[in-house]
Amino acid sequence: MAVGPPGPTEDSNLTTRGEVRDRMDYDVIVIGGGHAGSEAANAAARLGARTLLITSFLARIGQMSCNPAIGGVAKGTVAREVDALGGLMGRATDRTTLHFRMLNRSKGPAVWAPRAQCDRGLYPREVRRQLEERASLDLFQATVDALLVEEGRVAGVTASDGSRFRARAVVLTAGTFLRGRIHLGTDRQVDAGRAGDPPSILLAEQLAELGMRAERFKTGTPPRIDGRTVDFDCFHRQDGEAEGHRFSHWEQADGLPSLPCWIGSAGPEVKEIVRDSLGLSALYGGAISSLGPRYCPSIEDKVVKFPDADRHQLFLEPEGLETSELYVNGLSTSLPADVQRRFLRAVPGLGSARMTQPGYAIEYDFFSPQSLSATLAVPELPGLWLAGQINGTTGYEEAAGQGVVAGINAALHVQERDPWVPARDEAFLGVLVDDLITRGVDEPYRLFTSRAEFRLILRQDNCLTRLGPVAERLGLLTDEESRHLDEHLRLVERTREWVDEARVRPEQVNDWLRARGGSPILEPQPLQRLLRRPEVGLEAMLAAGGPLEGVAFDSDACTTVEMETKYAGYIERDRARADSLRRRDQQPLPPDAEYLDFGSLSWEARHKLERVRPENLGQAARIPGISPADLQNLLVEIRKRSRGVVARETPGKPSPSGDA
Amino acid sequence: MKALRPEADPVQETIAAIATAPGRGAIAVVRVSGPDTVQVARRLGLTDLSPRTALLRRLEHPEGGQPVDRVLAILFPAPASYTGEDLLEISSHGGTLLPQLVLDAVLAAGARLAEPGEFTRRAYLNGRIDLLQAEATADLIEAASPALAGAALHQLERGLSRRIESLRERMIEVQALLAYDIDFPEEDDGPLDRTRVDEALAALRDDLDTLLALAPEGEMLREGALTVIAGRPNAGKSSLFNSLVGFERAIVTEHPGTTRDAIEAVVGVEGYPFRLVDTAGLREASGAVEEIGIEVARSYLGRADIVLFCVESGRSLEPDEIAFLDEWPSNGRTTILVRTKADLRPAGELGPPADGDRCALQVELSAEQGEGIGKLRTMMLDAAWSGLRARPEAPLVTRRRHIRALESARSSIDEFSAACEASLPPEIAVTHLQDATVRLEELLGSVSTEDLLDRVFSSFCVGK
Repeated sequence: MAVGPPGPTEDSNLTTRGEVRDRMDYDVIVIGGGHAGSEAANAAARLGARTLLITSFLARIGQMSCNPAIGGVAKGTVAREVDALGGLMGRATDRTTLHFRMLNRSKGPAVWAPRAQCDRGLYPREVRRQLEERASLDLFQATVDALLVEEGRVAGVTASDGSRFRARAVVLTAGTFLRGRIHLGTDRQVDAGRAGDPPSILLAEQLAELGMRAERFKTGTPPRIDGRTVDFDCFHRQDGEAEGHRFSHWEQADGLPSLPCWIGSAGPEVKEIVRDSLGLSALYGGAISSLGPRYCPSIEDKVVKFPDADRHQLFLEPEGLETSELYVNGLSTSLPADVQRRFLRAVPGLGSARMTQPGYAIEYDFFSPQSLSATLAVPELPGLWLAGQINGTTGYEEAAGQGVVAGINAALHVQERDPWVPARDEAFLGVLVDDLITRGVDEPYRLFTSRAEFRLILRQDNCLTRLGPVAERLGLLTDEESRHLDEHLRLVERTREWVDEARVRPEQVNDWLRARGGSPILEPQPLQRLLRRPEVGLEAMLAAGGPLEGVAFDSDACTTVEMETKYAGYIERDRARADSLRRRDQQPLPPDAEYLDFGSLSWEARHKLERVRPENLGQAARIPGISPADLQNLLVEIRKRSRGVVARETPGKPSPSGDA
Repeated sequence: MKALRPEADPVQETIAAIATAPGRGAIAVVRVSGPDTVQVARRLGLTDLSPRTALLRRLEHPEGGQPVDRVLAILFPAPASYTGEDLLEISSHGGTLLPQLVLDAVLAAGARLAEPGEFTRRAYLNGRIDLLQAEATADLIEAASPALAGAALHQLERGLSRRIESLRERMIEVQALLAYDIDFPEEDDGPLDRTRVDEALAALRDDLDTLLALAPEGEMLREGALTVIAGRPNAGKSSLFNSLVGFERAIVTEHPGTTRDAIEAVVGVEGYPFRLVDTAGLREASGAVEEIGIEVARSYLGRADIVLFCVESGRSLEPDEIAFLDEWPSNGRTTILVRTKADLRPAGELGPPADGDRCALQVELSAEQGEGIGKLRTMMLDAAWSGLRARPEAPLVTRRRHIRALESARSSIDEFSAACEASLPPEIAVTHLQDATVRLEELLGSVSTEDLLDRVFSSFCVGK
């Protein structure tokens, strides 16, 4: 194991005589090395827990199994939240970025969305490099066959090589590996957790024996092609942004040389080939019945559901700096490889393109997250946490976010500290976890800004101000990171004060204003007032020079202060609403409530409450189909029981006769 | 009926009440609802009830078992009952004594006396009806005019609920367009087509305006159009009052007013209620507008929807009458100049033009002989109920609560447009549409959740 800079705690596998002995006892074991698993292990180790990450192929830690990109709308914010909590994703992304864009720039900063195309080969190496910086974290390559269960508690794992590891907390992040099955057309199926990797069968069987009821989802990938065989003249070139935006709050990585993406389209010829071959599609030929994500539809879905659309956009995304391979985003499919070759060649510009890897659909087990607690723990199996795609989500960022939450809470549990549950108005992570455990999933779950009722507060620019202090309090940060956090908070404060006090003179800004089509100012005025104009962005104004000579320049701080100035009324209103909702969240519900006996609630409401077992009144209110009236009855029932009145017993008046 | 808001709910017990009106009648109905209904029934000797089947049984007092009455008992098991709970309807013999004895037996068997409106309240709390339907139930029971009963029945059958739901759905559809634009910036469809948003919102505004346009009449349905009779002493006011009241034999109720400076009657004209107010017969407590000598129930005048200003036929207006007409008519109320005592005017002799331009609406009538009353009634109908009469099938809002919610939704749409106009970004502007949606949901008493994303996915091809 490489020795990196020391983490929050020192640890050693050395015995007194200096001989190395493999440790078999841990605080936390993380099964799986994908985006959920690596973040869970990192978070637990940062909290000082002696942590083991065990995965089938160490070389594939942090593997990007789908498209080689991190971020996007809402997802970019999650990636930055993970980073603010000391996570791996932001730094790994920044160091391997081939192409960065801030999506939604034409809208307000509240929905700006950083997204980076990354080098698929380099990204996993950056993840592993960071993991190896954590002194209290061990890595071990093996397939886990079973959980060690003792007296109803999870106490460790058994690997396929026979070795047993003990731990007080186990985080399972099996992704798509549990009974994973790949489909290439109707007649070619391979048991696999990802192309080329065997699935987890024994573990899945044990989980079923333990009473966990698995459901099936499917997802898919598009084919990849050899870039040397593409006629790029038929595509629209999209270059990344030159400016130094980034995901990580902790370091300013140099990144890699920039590569373009290419935008083209699949037209009527492609649609016709797909339509004629639908019978061969695993999806439409009957081989797969489970649900896939609506917002990541296969080309078969697009052809069937939108027959009138002329053409569908597709993006050629670079796979890496040192390969010409391209990822054909938009053509996800479960058709046989020869059909994929044919429809690819019907795409303008791909007439002589060679396919390097066919797309495929994969079916896998997941567990309904409604049965999880808010820390992502499994209440029926103490000692077990679940994170990532196994909970019915899709996306690297969603997986990473859950990994952080599960890893932190597994470690806190071992350390007998209070759990940490992010709130809906605190982080997208809070929205994510609460949606999962409260609403459950009926299709692979992906985050959108529309899922957050307080998206004006949950922005990509203020992740560190929102979560940095939490990370510091929990003990996730190194000393250097803590110092950096303090500096950043001070910088935001200074920027805010400066904006509050500064006045601008006409000659400082009028040329700049005119250039943006704004009306010039006639006399000196407070900067605040100027900032309230929609066309005036603080960062852009500062970048143009002028009034801000000598003020430290930080993109996030500028955006934060600008938002809070420009939309002060809206943000205050959201905060007030969030505060009033929080009061509901602070009203706990008894963990042992017998919801099925709550006679005054509708039958459906009783069953929904029983399934979700909400931890507080706010969570109960967010269960779909629970009406305000149900909530009222719920309160009455709870109050009735806390007063010791036994249900279904009529007070007074015994009936001496005629009582059957 | 008590307020139906789901607050301060008492512990859910089994409740009972006599559901029919007190007094002599062939039968009376006692209703029992709640978790212990079946046990209560057993204690009353009703041991073999089967769901939704009317059974003739002897009802016995639980303490001692002596017979109370022969009753027809029907059990409606939860959740398919009016309240959503186990519900028992006991039809006993009517009259003043027996229903009370039956109720006493039911209470002795473990039920408690229901609060006014509690059955309906439970129906709402159990999700059997929405808030609008609960209100409609109250209106239906209290309706004093066929028009209100009609509107209430329409509302009970979810006519208004459906209209509000459709407004809400369309509001969400607009938000879905904006959500799509925000959450899927790289899709096939390209940037948001603003005209789609604008057109949808214009249609929503129109529909809200249509509902609101009828709202004042809807609100007026409950109390009736306040119709105040005014005029100098002996101008024929009480004859007019009596003649309007007597003409419609239908519903005449004396209104126990708080200030006894007038007498009132609610009169139905073609099913539409008018609340007729006159100072006639109350000379001592007269509300004469002393300085000008016109008798009128002053405390009502400011709120009047219609003023019937009585002047004897065949004479010119006196200065005090002119002053009244000049000073008082305003605030959207209609003044009808009623030329009374037409029978006393010499036959064949037409009255002087009588300052016709002072009052656009004039009618000459003889209260004694009934002439002209029909014309007056038509004028009153036109003045108070023209909107409703033109669109009798339209969903109607009848309460302040409805009007406030709709007005607030309406102004939120305007705020959205203003925000867009001021170039505020979509995620900011759309908060106003979220407000509008919440207003409509509050109107229904429901709050929704995932509809927005469902909408996005059902109508767009989302790929990246």
